[in-house]
Formats: sequence, structure tokens, C-alpha cells
Amino acid sequence: MNRDELIKYLQDKFQDKIELLDTGRVEPFFRIKPEDLVGFCRAIKDDDRLCMDYLCNIGAVDTGERFEVVYNVSSIKNRTRFDFKIVMEYENAAIDSVQRIWPAANWYEREMWELYGINIRDHGNLKRFLLPDDWNQGNPMRKNWDAPDFKRMPEF
Amino acid sequence: MSELRTQEFQINMGPQHPSTHGVCRFILTLDGEVIIKAEPVIGYLHRAIEKICENRTYAQCIPVIDRFEYCTSMSSEMVFVLAAEKLAGIKIPERAEYLRVIMLELNRIASHLIWYGTTSLDLGAITPFLYGFREREDVLDLFEMTCGQRLTYNYIRVGGVSRDIPKEFIPKCHEFLDKFQGKVDDYERVLTENPIFLVRNKNVGVLTPQMAVAYGISGPSLRASGVKWDLRVDDPYSIYDRFRFEIPSFQNGDCYDRYLVRIKEMRESAKIVGQAIEQMPEGDIMAKVPANFKPPKGEVYSRIENSRGEMGAYIQSPGDSKKPLRVKLRGGSYNQLQVMPELVRGHKVADVVAIMASLDIIMPEIDR
Repeated sequence: MNRDELIKYLQDKFQDKIELLDTGRVEPFFRIKPEDLVGFCRAIKDDDRLCMDYLCNIGAVDTGERFEVVYNVSSIKNRTRFDFKIVMEYENAAIDSVQRIWPAANWYEREMWELYGINIRDHGNLKRFLLPDDWNQGNPMRKNWDAPDFKRMPEF
Repeated sequence: MSELRTQEFQINMGPQHPSTHGVCRFILTLDGEVIIKAEPVIGYLHRAIEKICENRTYAQCIPVIDRFEYCTSMSSEMVFVLAAEKLAGIKIPERAEYLRVIMLELNRIASHLIWYGTTSLDLGAITPFLYGFREREDVLDLFEMTCGQRLTYNYIRVGGVSRDIPKEFIPKCHEFLDKFQGKVDDYERVLTENPIFLVRNKNVGVLTPQMAVAYGISGPSLRASGVKWDLRVDDPYSIYDRFRFEIPSFQNGDCYDRYLVRIKEMRESAKIVGQAIEQMPEGDIMAKVPANFKPPKGEVYSRIENSRGEMGAYIQSPGDSKKPLRVKLRGGSYNQLQVMPELVRGHKVADVVAIMASLDIIMPEIDR
């Protein structure tokens, strides 16, 4: 499937559950609703024509206004790849775990929980990860978090 | 006399252990000498590279990202630069593409030579370590000649490469390539049929193809499990579609097959370098990129085949800024360490070392 076929196939299959974004370059980029996440992931993995069996990466983004969680998925069988993301507000930010679908998600989600403070429902292994055991200074990857001796580089 | 009983106990391995390739700690739960549970503890090398990149211009990010995976700095630079170029839609000159491929493949050889040396060192053989580092020295000399650095190069830039190769590079490189296949024969003569090496590696740490794909394992470890998947061929980037090379793959998924894949990959990489030198045209090495580089609003995930598997970079650009809004780096070791507890279960403590060495895990890539 090339890019256009992939977009059309996904849009036909998921209808109004997904929205094609114009921010994506090269590979298509979709936005889905947080409540659809697990169902969507299960569907793209189990569908024979998509078969998105390989999770490349999960990364959270703090845009300064809200959180985004970006999933980069790929198919080894069909050699296709696309990205999708979910967008949510800061208050009570939480997503469902997808590690039942892709076990690789476990650590990505754990990292996201620790560095961004996004709660992961149904995860079962949310323990200190990259930060020291006695860390009590919040979630350092948030945009409003700065190290005590930090100086912002001027825009020049 | 009191009754004898057995009980499980926990031991700590690392973080300062001679064979943990960085600073990684394992909490092992043992039944006698057999491992029933292993828990990796990471974060000792966390340098917040992703956070630092949010406060740097794209050009300033590159030397920081060099430290992301310092055994193959060229790949770390390449994946970030590739993402930035995709964002801005930059087309780079032919000669720069070839120079990049030459450097990436030489760096893959250098990285596999580190793996070859340290793996055998972990298993108690010291000769291969000396052999591997001897040839690695030649590769590092080539890098030093080109960009003045031996480990963190800052060579690949947005739009091309920082400088052209000096005229003595090509003869030196030919000299290296001519002898290298023979040197790999030497490496194989030491280990491939060595009975001690076979006993330590055959049927140890078997990774099934299903488990490998589910855990996001890629690179040589995935190909050793029988999945023929190499991004240089299956999702070609740069100019890899112009070279003829084989993708070695094996079926058993044990430590020994991972060893064979990497040995064969070194040979193939050398072939790619030879072809690239032959085909390389004259010309510019840098596209016209404004000093004030501001990619348009957008987001992109780029991935390349590194010596430890898929290396990826996700960049989100806010539009009118010289700094990225978010850089997320993905390294192959991250997933390989995640699958370690599954692989070591039921093996002996000494096998943890063999399995970790065969997966070629390095910690800076995991902790970032």
C-alpha cells in the first residue's frame, strides 16, 4: 500500500473515528480520540491488510497548552508505517495502556508516566524508571519545569 | 539437627559490573543458580538529552545527540538530521549522500568490532578483544582524518556533511577494505567453531520471532530470529537502494545466531563502503540551508538501521522557531533490555552476561 491507499483504507475503515492531520510529513499522521485508543490499536494490529504488528515508538509531547501522545506504528509484513496521536488537557491526563497489544509499550508508557506525569490506566508496573529513587521534584519533561540552575537560551 | 530447606534469594548485579556495557543493574531472583526473575534497573546514564534539545537550535542539537548512542555517533546524527530534513523538505547533494553512507557503514563496522571484542571478553577470551580494537583503530583514524574526532563526530549536518574527505582518505580506506575481509576470517577462526564459545552460546537466550516482533526488537537480534527485516532494504532511506548487499538472517534466535549475523554484517558493510567509494561523484557536500534554519510547522518520525536495530527520532516543530518543540529518540537497546527478563529466565547467572553481550546492549541509548 502506498501513502494514498493507506490513507483511504484507514479512512474507509474507521470513518469519523480518525482525523487526518496536515502536520505529518512523508508518512500520514492521524488524530484519534483518547477513548478509542485501545480499540483502534487492536483493530490496526488484527486487520490483515494493515497488520501493524510492530510498535516503533511512543512519545509524549507537552506543547505548552496540552499533552499529546504520539504513536509510531509499522508493519513488518506489509512494510507500511503511519503515525497517530491523541490530544488531552493537562488536568487528570490519563490514557489506557496498550501493552496487551504491543508488549513493547510497557517501558515507553512507564517513561511517559514518570517524565510527564501522564497516568497510565491498567499498566501494573508504574515504578521509578529513569530518575533517581528519591526524586521528588515533579515531572521534568513538562514545559513549565526547569532545572534550578537553568538559563533559557535567547532567541537570536 | 534442624531440617534443611531451600529458599529463593535475590542478588544484585551491577551497576558497576565489568560486563554490563555501561551502567546497568539487574536484580536477580535465584533458585540455586537458576534465575527465576530478573529486573533491570536503569537511569544511571540519564543525561536528559531530549530536554536539552528543546532549548537548542537544530545545529546545536547535533553534538548533544552524538552522545545519545556514542558507539555509532554517525547514526545518531543521521537519524536526527534525516528527520529535520524531512520536516523542511531539503534535498541534499549526491556527494553528501555518498559520504554519509560511507561514514554510516564504517561506523557500523566500528560498532560491531566493539561488540566482537567485548562479547568475547565477557565470555573470558581476551584475544578477540585485541583483534577487534586493532581494526577499529583503522576506522577511527579514517574518521579522525575526516572530521577531527574519533568518537563523537558532529559530522552530518542538516543539508549535508560538515566537510569533504581529504585526498588521502580513499587510498587509506581501500587499504582497510582490502585487508578487512581477511581479518574477519581471523575473527571467525578464533570463535566460530571454538568449543567453549559454542557451549556458552548455542541454545542460550532463545528469542522467538513472535516475541521479538512483539517487543519491538530490531536489527541483528531480529534477523537472528528468522525475520528478514532490515530498514536499509525494507524502508530505504538515503541512497541505500543503489547498493548490492545481502541481509544475513538465521533461524534459531540464540546467542550464537546473533553472533553469526553480526559477523556477516561486518562483511556486508565493507562491501557497501567499497561500492559507495566507487560510485561517489564529485560535487557539493552541503545544500543551501539558511543559517537561520526554521523548519515549517509539522512533525515527523524518521528511522534508520543502526547496528543495534531501529534507531528513530521524532521531531515536532512549532513552526516559527529555530528550536524543536520536542525531540524523542528511540534506540534499539531500549527494547532489547526490556526483553532481557524473558530471555534469562531459567538460565544460570553466567548466561546473563552471555545474553546481554549477544544482544549488544549499550546503556547511553536506553537512558538518554
